[in-house]
Amino acid sequence: MLLFENKQQKLLNLLKFTGSPFKKFVSTGEIEEDIGLAHSRQDLLNSIIDIIEKNENFILPIIGGVGTGKTHFYWALKHELYYYNIVYISLENVIKKFYYYIYSEFIESMGIEILRSIARRLCNEWGALERKYGFFHLADIEKVRKVAYNECSADFEDKESIMDVITAITAHQLDPYKKIEVERWFLGEVIDVRDLSRLKLKYDLREKNNSYTMLKLLVENSMVNSVLFIDDFEKVLSMMKPLLIEEEPEEVFDRSWLYYSKESPDKRNAEKLLDKIVRLNKIDGLRIIITLKSVEFYKEIKKKFEEINSDLLNVLREPIILSNFIEEDLPKFYKNNLEFFFGNINYFDYFRDFSDTYYPLNEQVLKYIHKNSKGNPREIIKLLIKIFNEIILSNEGLDNILEKYQ
Amino acid sequence: MKKSPDFILFDSLKEILTLGEFRGSIISKCQDEVIFSDNIKISEFEGIIISEGLIIGFEIVGNNLIPYSRSSDLKWNLKDIPLEYSVLIPENTMEQYDQGQFSNEFPFTINLLHTAGLYVNDSKFGVNHLDFFKGEILKNPISMIRNGIIVADRVVIDHNGDPVFYDCLIVGRDENDDLNISYEPIINIDDKVVEYIIILGIEELKIKK
Repeated sequence: MLLFENKQQKLLNLLKFTGSPFKKFVSTGEIEEDIGLAHSRQDLLNSIIDIIEKNENFILPIIGGVGTGKTHFYWALKHELYYYNIVYISLENVIKKFYYYIYSEFIESMGIEILRSIARRLCNEWGALERKYGFFHLADIEKVRKVAYNECSADFEDKESIMDVITAITAHQLDPYKKIEVERWFLGEVIDVRDLSRLKLKYDLREKNNSYTMLKLLVENSMVNSVLFIDDFEKVLSMMKPLLIEEEPEEVFDRSWLYYSKESPDKRNAEKLLDKIVRLNKIDGLRIIITLKSVEFYKEIKKKFEEINSDLLNVLREPIILSNFIEEDLPKFYKNNLEFFFGNINYFDYFRDFSDTYYPLNEQVLKYIHKNSKGNPREIIKLLIKIFNEIILSNEGLDNILEKYQ
Repeated sequence: MKKSPDFILFDSLKEILTLGEFRGSIISKCQDEVIFSDNIKISEFEGIIISEGLIIGFEIVGNNLIPYSRSSDLKWNLKDIPLEYSVLIPENTMEQYDQGQFSNEFPFTINLLHTAGLYVNDSKFGVNHLDFFKGEILKNPISMIRNGIIVADRVVIDHNGDPVFYDCLIVGRDENDDLNISYEPIINIDDKVVEYIIILGIEELKIKK
């Protein structure tokens, strides 16, 4: 008969078996964050949601130092605005094939079915559902293409691209023999020249104007609103700055042969990238959120926008500043993480037996963590990982371990 | 006087004549022919005018009864008119009909390129290919039955050799000889009441006048 159960020892044993509840201290766009935001950030999140819901085109900067949880905000937004298409890109990873990459991310987020339904709707708007003799649907593809071109060409600068996109959409909907190949084109696959010519297309979606046009058509005709979250935006600015001599890589090739002595290839790439980002603003209904590491970067961005086109300042919103955790945030954050962890491994006794305590840590340790990390969420998680690893791996008693952190 | 339903534009039997110009999905019956059109003009002075209507029926060529579907402009004066009726199919019924249509990509349907006769109930020139097409799905059948017309998206000949129409618009007269329009997703017809079934050729529909 079980007379007494040491619940605390049981929890420690379980932790030794499962490993630490704190593992990841860097948030990324690829791995989903399930934990919600700290309480003090809820108001910031609400104000961002308010801006998203009340405006159609804007660039909203979120400013926060390294490890303050800017990327975590993306996941919080994605969970909160589940009825939006929210797509994440990081400028650390994406510089080349920029539109192609964003388009692929949108397709991944929306799914091919949405794309098919947009293509169907557009074709119907262009007259594909016209009934001959009042009854029979006999779409004249060339006629539909003509109507589509007349309707769309004014909104798109690149006429060749819009023609390619119209040809693809109409072939997808009205020519059953080409549907499968065109769907490959829609999905951004590499299509060889022979297939392209059979489909009467000039380029596939790796061509920047084609992917931009498809992206514009997709976002503007989707029934769901879209948000593009561009992380590490300061990358584009740092690329523009000249490298210090000691940072400059040793090169045999003299780049002045191609780019003149004053410009580095990185600077040219960065300028092109900035132009591409600015062009995204011409997509109706595309809300853009950018993250920056400091207010200085925001000032620089503002200056750059002014140089490109002063009208851009109208779409650039006042930044949202992300501060570190306040002391009250940490206990809640800690409890949320543990509850999520034990819930995930179906150890529901935790909710019953430990709902009022911070076990295996205590209030003093949490205060120590907040003080030593200065409230920086990444530093907090790093310290939590360190302490939990010690609890799990060391043979020392829990009290002895905690003593070091009080 | 009883008001005739809005969809009846002309009915020689009930002496209904609605003056005006109408656009939409219009079915007219003229003797043994069915006329499809997206327009009709009914005027006291000019008579009844249909521009670019599709006439469907049979004609005798030599010793054979040949089906046809031709695009043509039509005009009749009101005094001596062979037209039996013209009805305008309501848009919500047409939407139902559109939604019920099979996609062209459905792999097992037979889409004839030329207009062909599937069945004609005639003692001298009778045509009966129902057995040959048993179990097949044929697109775009038009059928004249004793009391009306069936326009369907597809027809399948069942194991009894009777045609089963899917996604059909039916125009016909009830027991009081009043015209009615209905939409049926599926309807089984005994071949004994069928006057003829014509399968519309998809390429012939594309031919311009």
